[in-house]
Amino acid sequence: MAMRDLVAGGAACAVPGSSSSNPLGALANTLLGSSSKTQERLKEIPTATATSSENRFFQDVEDPLRALPGAEFEQQPFSHPGGQGSEFLWGFRSTDQNGLADAWDEIERSHVPRPSQANVPQLDHVYDRGPQLQPTVYGPPQRVLSNFLHSFVESSHGGIPFRPAPLPLLGLSEGDKQCIRDRSSIMARHFFADKNEDFINAQVNALLSSLDIDSDAHAKGRLPRRFRDLEDYWNESQGSLRPGPHLADGWISEFSQHRLDHSDPDAWAHAFERQHGANSCVSEFEQEQLLASMDQIRGANIPNLAAMEQTRMLAHTLAQNNDPKFQNSKFLQFVSKMSRGELIIDDNQVKPAAGPSDWATEYQQKYTGGTSWADEYVRDEVSHGPDRWVNEFATEREQNGSVDDQWVNEFSKLHVNDWVEEFGQQVEEGALGDSSADAWANAYDEYLNEQVAVKKQSEASRGVYVFSDMNPYVGHPNPLREGQELFRKGLLSEAVLALEAEVLKNPDNAEGWRLLGIAHAENDDDQQAIAAMMRAQEADPTNLEVLLALGVSHTNELEQAAALKYLYGWLHNHSKYRTLATTELANSLHYANVARLFNEASQMSPEDADVHIVLGVLYNLSREYDRAIASFQMALKLKPQDYSLWNKLGATQANSVQSADAILAYQQALDLKPNYVRAWANMGISYANQGMYEESIRYYVRALAMNPKADNAWQYLRISLSCASRNDMLEACDRWNIDLLQKEFPL
Amino acid sequence: MPIFKTPFNGYSVKFSPFYESRLAVATAQNFGILGNGRVHVLALPPSPSLPLSELVAFDTADGVYDLAWSESHDSLLVAAVADGSVKLFDTALPPTQNPLRSLQEHTREVHSVDYNPTRRDSFITSSWDDTIKLWTLDRPASIRTFKEHAYCVYSAAWNPRHTDVFASASGDCTVRIWDVREPGSTMIIPGHDFEILSCDWNKYDDCLIATASVDKSIRVWDVRSYRAPIAVLNGHGYAVRKVKFSPHHRNLMVSCSYDMTVCMWDFMVEDALVGRYDHHTEFAVGLDMSVLVEGLLASTGWDELVYVWQHGTDPRAS
Repeated sequence: MAMRDLVAGGAACAVPGSSSSNPLGALANTLLGSSSKTQERLKEIPTATATSSENRFFQDVEDPLRALPGAEFEQQPFSHPGGQGSEFLWGFRSTDQNGLADAWDEIERSHVPRPSQANVPQLDHVYDRGPQLQPTVYGPPQRVLSNFLHSFVESSHGGIPFRPAPLPLLGLSEGDKQCIRDRSSIMARHFFADKNEDFINAQVNALLSSLDIDSDAHAKGRLPRRFRDLEDYWNESQGSLRPGPHLADGWISEFSQHRLDHSDPDAWAHAFERQHGANSCVSEFEQEQLLASMDQIRGANIPNLAAMEQTRMLAHTLAQNNDPKFQNSKFLQFVSKMSRGELIIDDNQVKPAAGPSDWATEYQQKYTGGTSWADEYVRDEVSHGPDRWVNEFATEREQNGSVDDQWVNEFSKLHVNDWVEEFGQQVEEGALGDSSADAWANAYDEYLNEQVAVKKQSEASRGVYVFSDMNPYVGHPNPLREGQELFRKGLLSEAVLALEAEVLKNPDNAEGWRLLGIAHAENDDDQQAIAAMMRAQEADPTNLEVLLALGVSHTNELEQAAALKYLYGWLHNHSKYRTLATTELANSLHYANVARLFNEASQMSPEDADVHIVLGVLYNLSREYDRAIASFQMALKLKPQDYSLWNKLGATQANSVQSADAILAYQQALDLKPNYVRAWANMGISYANQGMYEESIRYYVRALAMNPKADNAWQYLRISLSCASRNDMLEACDRWNIDLLQKEFPL
Repeated sequence: MPIFKTPFNGYSVKFSPFYESRLAVATAQNFGILGNGRVHVLALPPSPSLPLSELVAFDTADGVYDLAWSESHDSLLVAAVADGSVKLFDTALPPTQNPLRSLQEHTREVHSVDYNPTRRDSFITSSWDDTIKLWTLDRPASIRTFKEHAYCVYSAAWNPRHTDVFASASGDCTVRIWDVREPGSTMIIPGHDFEILSCDWNKYDDCLIATASVDKSIRVWDVRSYRAPIAVLNGHGYAVRKVKFSPHHRNLMVSCSYDMTVCMWDFMVEDALVGRYDHHTEFAVGLDMSVLVEGLLASTGWDELVYVWQHGTDPRAS
């Protein structure tokens, strides 16, 4: 069941960075949707109706607004929505040159806890994390941030996986985080065009988790309404029995913090302190020094160096990319300079580093003299100095990692499955208290059905003929004759059934398939027409009428290459023009070549209407409508009784914005063949093109009454109904209620 | 041909519809992810060997993603800013007296702006808040908001002939055609299987529209028969960022891409790729064709360079 799949998430929408071992992440995803806008969800295309808002329109009309057409549709003309995110930006960025540094200092001084933590103080108890120490960061955090943004964008050049690296708390406010989160997830989908969704999400998550940006919570603005509603239903249905949404949010953010960043420096440090106490290091360091440096390590410096190491690796990988452009990329140079500490970001500007102000350098000078302790740490090579400490620390980190996993496992046992199942049940039972939940499910099912229908259609376009389900002519003694008779009478839909019965009986009957194709074409169903004609061609590859019909149908579907192939085939198989069609041309069918051949053919025998018809079709392909009209008019002089030719002339005139002339041509076609569905529909199009929507509706309805399967006509009818402000009839249109429509719009 | 170096990463470039030697460039710091923005107004030199000169520049609090010249006032510019604001600048006034107006309604980044070329009194902006807004110069608030897309709207473009019709391209993989006289969109074209980043109308055939997508292709559609594209142009190696029809030739169009190139196409011929310009060294994201000088192109990109050149010549040759 569709709803079930959604609730369970499904592999396609698993939160990246949270593999199957992350049930809470999956739950968060199912309830809240992931913050990054995933393609899966995007493919739902909501219908473009203004249904529920009918009485909103015209409610707040203010006269001056009529200055622009359509202004009356706006319901709150002078509202000033105060965007939350942008408020921050104003505050932060209105600071001038030194503002950023000041803002940073202020954050430092006031020791503002991160909002995500402020929300969930109780969780510190639950998981016994102990109090969080505010780290002290030396040097501007912008440097680290900018470094990261650059290497993130850079990583698109070579498709290099972007690894998360532990970074210090940068003091990014919620607004800043939202900016980075949203912009990087949106932009990443553009740079990583040929990567799959998982890769992109992994890249973005690496960036976000490194910056300690929670990728799940607080992304409410981005959730499509359907998902929001579900979340609301969930919260509502749970009432006071369950932990509220607030706590749920808290868990999720808490969880992401644990989960996304195994190597979170705070976590290491805490675990280390908890299990060993500070004393275990005393043998190697003086306590004072240790305490001071612990704070520093925890805060910024190891991560900083790790980030440097990462950019170094990135630079190395990029240097191996052979594309000279990527080699010369300024990004590459930027990143490698960054990795050597030659550049810093200060006050939003990139500057050369002003000497060894950086903590890492200081640390090296102060404590270890020559060799960099941090480098050794990063490379996992320990040659001398405080090696025991380092080893212990590394071991601790591993243990801590497994502790994290345990935590995840326990948690999943406890709650998550229950939640998801229960939620699924709630939905299935319709216990969400509101019929709109059902409506939602129905809408989703409808959408799935539409997808199936679309798929069916695309199969037809690949030449798979779709037979009708119920066919009274199956078993008829001579369905071909019956079909021909019905076709002659103009009962096209009936003729289609009879002819289907014929080709079911005799699949090799080229004439049966051909007539079936023509019936579909006249019934305004080119997809089926093409499929039938292709079968006819299989049965008889040289049938000229079939080749011509295929050329025309493909032209109608704007499939130039296929159209050219069949039109060329027509020439190639024509006894008179065979000499024109040389085989080397067949391999490279360009429009210009084929058009030239047919022009030659028309000079050879100017009295052959068929050549003029093909020329007219070709000129339609190249959109030279004046020439096309001339060709069809020439053909009509030779074949004035050919109703389909009148229709072609009309369609061409309509395409070249001569809708009034087109209507005359269609009228000719209809005089010759009153049940010509395509001409009725085309007539409607011409009226619509002239802005006569009421008129056009009548013609579409007439066409649809004769053949309700004419997909295009339904779409055109819908457009005309909305243009004629007959939204009241849209439902009838959507339900294919032709009786009601005929009553409303008689011709 | 002339080159200009911008301090930030280029996002968009537009020729003035009034002066053949004037153009404006939108830029953003840190690739538009976080930081400031700046709008430059540049003048073409009398001789191609000289560099472009800056007439005036305006700073903004957040990156500028796009801009459009007014079609009614020769000195007026509209800028689409990443903080959700739409800012009006008068290039005849010094930076201290600008912006003339800041319209704060979009709740997310504004990604494109297009000035109505026929009515000349209004413009539309499209935003990552999934909406398109219609504005006039004389009002402090938008006239209307069009909200149907299910994801970011990356671009919106007026029809060159039908004054009330525009198209919008969105990350929900659809292009929608709108008529401002109607309550909702009049047509939905599910144009690509990936996000659609840009769309533009043909200047000679008012039924043709081109779309550029993350799927690396450009497609040309006839809105009267939109079930299949009338042309699919392949050749870019990464997502296509912008597409624009020529103001002078019916069948010509230009595009720029994350593959760092600018391409010119003739969508009616078999080998559609007419020319490829490889002058940018980072993502090429901004592109324009001059209406006043036939064949004059301008591009900008994340390499912080603005190029102006004549089609057929090397943009880097000076």
